[in-house]
Amino acid sequence: MKRILPPVIVGIAAIVAWQLTVTLGRIAPFILPAPSAIWDELVEQKQNVWEAALASGENALIGLIGGSVAGVLVAMVASRFRPIAEISIPFAAVVSALPIIALAPILNNMFESTSSIPRRLVAAIIVFFPVFLNTLRGLREVDPIHQELMHTYAASGWTFATKVRLPGALPYVFTGLRQASSLAVIAAVVAEYFGGLQNGLGSRITSAAAFTAYPRAWAFVLGACLLGLVFYLTTLLLERLAMPWRSRLIA
Amino acid sequence: MSAVVVDKVTKVFNQGRSDEVTALSEVELTVGDGEFVSLIGPSGCGKSTLLRLIADLIEPTAGTVTVAGKNAGQARRDQDYGIAFQQAGLFEWRTVRRNVELPLELRGMGKTDRKTRAEEMLELVGLAEFAGHYPAQLSGGMQQRVAIARALAVQPPLLLMDEPFGALDEMTRERLQTELLGICAKTGTSTVFVTHSISEAVFLSNRVVVMSARPGRITASVAVDLPARDEAARQSEKYFEHVTAVRQALRGVPASL
Repeated sequence: MKRILPPVIVGIAAIVAWQLTVTLGRIAPFILPAPSAIWDELVEQKQNVWEAALASGENALIGLIGGSVAGVLVAMVASRFRPIAEISIPFAAVVSALPIIALAPILNNMFESTSSIPRRLVAAIIVFFPVFLNTLRGLREVDPIHQELMHTYAASGWTFATKVRLPGALPYVFTGLRQASSLAVIAAVVAEYFGGLQNGLGSRITSAAAFTAYPRAWAFVLGACLLGLVFYLTTLLLERLAMPWRSRLIA
Repeated sequence: MSAVVVDKVTKVFNQGRSDEVTALSEVELTVGDGEFVSLIGPSGCGKSTLLRLIADLIEPTAGTVTVAGKNAGQARRDQDYGIAFQQAGLFEWRTVRRNVELPLELRGMGKTDRKTRAEEMLELVGLAEFAGHYPAQLSGGMQQRVAIARALAVQPPLLLMDEPFGALDEMTRERLQTELLGICAKTGTSTVFVTHSISEAVFLSNRVVVMSARPGRITASVAVDLPARDEAARQSEKYFEHVTAVRQALRGVPASL
């Protein structure tokens, strides 16, 4: 309770300050709508926000799962064969420096206009790097005593990988996943700005803004924010479930 | 049959390079069945190297190592020894019981059998009620006991220990020494025990092997004959005589015993 209270108070204070600034300062709604206006819009549009969030969420989720699985698998291969790691790390650095979102319009042209694949691809590519890099680091950090012990048990490479390397790397994998979960939502929403199907939060934000319906645009932004939070918190929960030896220490 | 035979073993690290080090030179050591042998000596005398050669974690440059009548590599693959290091080296993601089960699991033992065996071993080291805990929830001494239980789980004829109590406080250390002796007596396990501590070596061993550095070799072997190994033995005259003998051997004075 003591840990929850301060951020809640600060949050409420910020919203009140925002409301007062807008109403007392007579700020035009197309510059900054009042929180109350956004809230009214959110309540009114809740069915639309919900459906749009489901559409964007589905893209983000598929991208997140695809990119994470690929990231973990490639990291496993790279940790096994040193040359691959040495080649792939600079590549990963270069490609992750690319603004992948900027690929969205190009990818859109590669597929049909009603296809969700380009968005999922963008999300997957963005997710791939944090998961890959963190997992690789985790897989490489093996306690030398564990290595020797497994040697005295005459354990095969596969046994070593599944019983020592992978569980030892789990905390790192989840560090990557936590970063990736929010990125996946951002990528899926922003990728919608560049055309294609008009069913997600991103396209709703652009169309609301185009109709100068700013409180509505903000309501969808709020929806995107909540969607990102849901992804992040789910990852946190999974992390706890996957690593009971950690959560039990906190408890 | 002897538990361990080390025959004219020489170990050179970084051979042929400018930083070449002769860690061991022509070392001979025999450990009889059921015997408890301590290796003692200054840092860099190669006592850990010798233990790792017996464990087949490294290979000798010259000479042979025989464990349970086989070459060391075969003995390792057959899990003919259990090993414990200075750090417990437990797997933090496994419960205490599943840590002890790991060597059994890798041997292909069935689920219920290994559970029973692991619980037996934990009983032996007095940690039965902690079977479901995770290692990080235990104290250092308890973790070390789990590591010993794990080393004993396959019921190996030979136990190799590299300063297993080195990181523990004196009280815990003495208690674990007594426990270890009890376990070895009960199971008839032969033991090779590396230590820095003269008193620990004398209290535990049938024989204390004294080594010297650069190049590492065995300089003396002190047989320890104590009527009993209990708290009273730690205060006995005979015990102190042996401690003195080992100390003198370490300093290079010919042993009087």
